[in-house]
Amino acid sequence: MANIAISGLNKTYGSFRAVDFIDLNVQEGEFVIVLGPSGCGKTTTLRMLAGFIEPDGGQVILGGRDITYEPPYRRNIGLVFQNYALFPHLTIFENVAFGLRRRGVNHSEITPRVKDALSLVDLSHLTDRLPRQLSGGQQQRVAIARAIAIRPDVLLLDEPLSNLDAKLRLQVRDELRSLQKRLGITTIMVTHDQDEAMSVGDRLVLMRSGRIEQIGSPDDLYNRPANRFVADFIGRTNFLRGRIEKDQAFHSEGGIVLTSASQPPGATEAMIRPEAIRVRSVPEQSGPNAISGTIHGHVFLGGLIELAIDMPGGERITGVISPRELEEAGVKLIPNAPVYISVAPKDVVLL
Amino acid sequence: MQTKPIGAAALLIPATGLVLVFMGLPLIYLFRYSLNQYVPGEFIVDGFTLENYRIFFSEAYYLTGMWTTLLMAGAVTILCITLGLPIANWIARQSGTLKTILLMAVILPLFISNAVRAAGWMVAFGQAGVLNYVLLQLGLISEPLQIMQTPIAVFIGMTAVNLPYVVLTLQSIFEGLDENIDFAAASLGAQPLQSFFLVRLPQVVPGILAASMLSFILAMNAYATPVLLGGPSFRMMAPMVVVEIMNKANWPLGAALAFILLATTVAISILAALFIRRRY
Ligand SMILES: Nc1ncnc2c1ncn2[C@@H]1O[C@H](COP(=O)(O)OP(=O)(O)OP(=O)(O)O)[C@@H](O)[C@H]1O
Ligand SMILES: [Mg+2]
Repeated sequence: MANIAISGLNKTYGSFRAVDFIDLNVQEGEFVIVLGPSGCGKTTTLRMLAGFIEPDGGQVILGGRDITYEPPYRRNIGLVFQNYALFPHLTIFENVAFGLRRRGVNHSEITPRVKDALSLVDLSHLTDRLPRQLSGGQQQRVAIARAIAIRPDVLLLDEPLSNLDAKLRLQVRDELRSLQKRLGITTIMVTHDQDEAMSVGDRLVLMRSGRIEQIGSPDDLYNRPANRFVADFIGRTNFLRGRIEKDQAFHSEGGIVLTSASQPPGATEAMIRPEAIRVRSVPEQSGPNAISGTIHGHVFLGGLIELAIDMPGGERITGVISPRELEEAGVKLIPNAPVYISVAPKDVVLL
Repeated sequence: MQTKPIGAAALLIPATGLVLVFMGLPLIYLFRYSLNQYVPGEFIVDGFTLENYRIFFSEAYYLTGMWTTLLMAGAVTILCITLGLPIANWIARQSGTLKTILLMAVILPLFISNAVRAAGWMVAFGQAGVLNYVLLQLGLISEPLQIMQTPIAVFIGMTAVNLPYVVLTLQSIFEGLDENIDFAAASLGAQPLQSFFLVRLPQVVPGILAASMLSFILAMNAYATPVLLGGPSFRMMAPMVVVEIMNKANWPLGAALAFILLATTVAISILAALFIRRRY
């Protein structure tokens, strides 16, 4: 187990810069998620860390050792792929033992270590099967066991859950998370599923076109996005165009006046998360950011209700509210019925 | 969903019919001929005799021919696979223009007939040929080597004929391998050579079987190369069939030899397939 320090890492294909001078430090035992839209360079970055793509420049330091140009088989990095990539001709036992044998681990130690690794993923009973005789979820757990059996310094996972169905994805995700915490293994995982990212990552790295847009905790990225791209990529968001006037308040183009906890100069948009919207059936006596509108429509989202509200100036704000809160507020879900909303200044993020 | 297999089977009917008419019937005729009697000077004498088969199994001339054929086909196939595996693996890992050039280099020899290529080898291997000239000039030998008209010449010539087929077959299999599996092997500590033998090779066993059968069958039935490079005293089965039919006008024995050659080839291919299937 070790920390990783990546600096100035870059890779160009022809004239296309797939990874554009990335700096990233991952602490020992940390679970970092790299996410971003398709083609933003996540896989390329991971492959440079694993040693399959030679970077054009930059450095990768693993536990104080410069591994930038070290061949993959000397790096001691565990890998897990979206398509499992198990050795099809070897049994589950031999798949997990493969890395141990390559490392010349003592013969008598191999069996217990394979069993240990497999029991960590709850598969010790399937050692004699071939990969094709397992389900997708089981195969992916074998792949995880195979990667951790070598006690790697770092575990790299490229969309490991994308091939699993929704229910299994949640299950393997939680197993992966608790395994990672238990073993304290430094982990970098690529995903483009933001729910997955938010729920397992200690820190998230959001990339776009080969660059890092923001690094931070899930809370940072969700509630304090660095820019519009981050705000838009993570979760659902209301954006209102406008500017900060002399009264220090944000005036939207549709005439909504919002006070915000911070006023970055030159802000052109206000971002409000749907969960931050409060609704009332009667105007609020006082307080900031009380706005009146009319109900446009609603959608049931599992246990919550998504409510679209038309503002007088023609803008539309979406709120996500529990049925119970709606009931307590006395709001009826009738189109065009008046409704009063409010937002705490700390939930108005100006960008 | 239910009608799909039936539809596919229906599509195969014309092809099956063609195979039956143009391959099955001649085979039946061939077999029928092989049971006829040979009367010198007469073309076809109908009969039902196993005499032609008895001749094959009792005369050293024919048995040696079969042995030579089997050994040559086996040796050529082993060499082709040994050379073809690394070449195919290497080509599969290239990309872009280099790959196109390499594939063209493999395919181009297939455009030239075996006889013409054998003529090329004659120029290369002859007493005054290119190889002897170079070796003499280098002082490695003092007398020209006798390569032409030896089994070695046939061995080299047939390997050259079969290698492109083997490389193309294996290359397409290597091409289909998942590169993530190679990445996984490397990340677990396998060096390139270990990766090749422990991970890539076992995945292409069915392909090796297919390529071996292809090479073996081609070699068992080779005609031009053994005739042109092996000289008059070197005998393999296909030339022997021709000798019986064309030179001795012994159709029944020729047919029996052809039938034995066919049966041996098919039997060995089936056994090899069963053996490999059982082990993997
Ligand atoms: N060998 C290559 N040659 C040329 N361009 C490449 C090559 N490999 C990747 N790219 C380009 O680099 C960019 C980054 O690719 P990468 O695979 O890292 O994306 P990604 O973020 O993993 O995307 P996804 O979420 O779809 O997996 C893409 O635009 C891709 O087209
Ligand atoms: Mg990718």
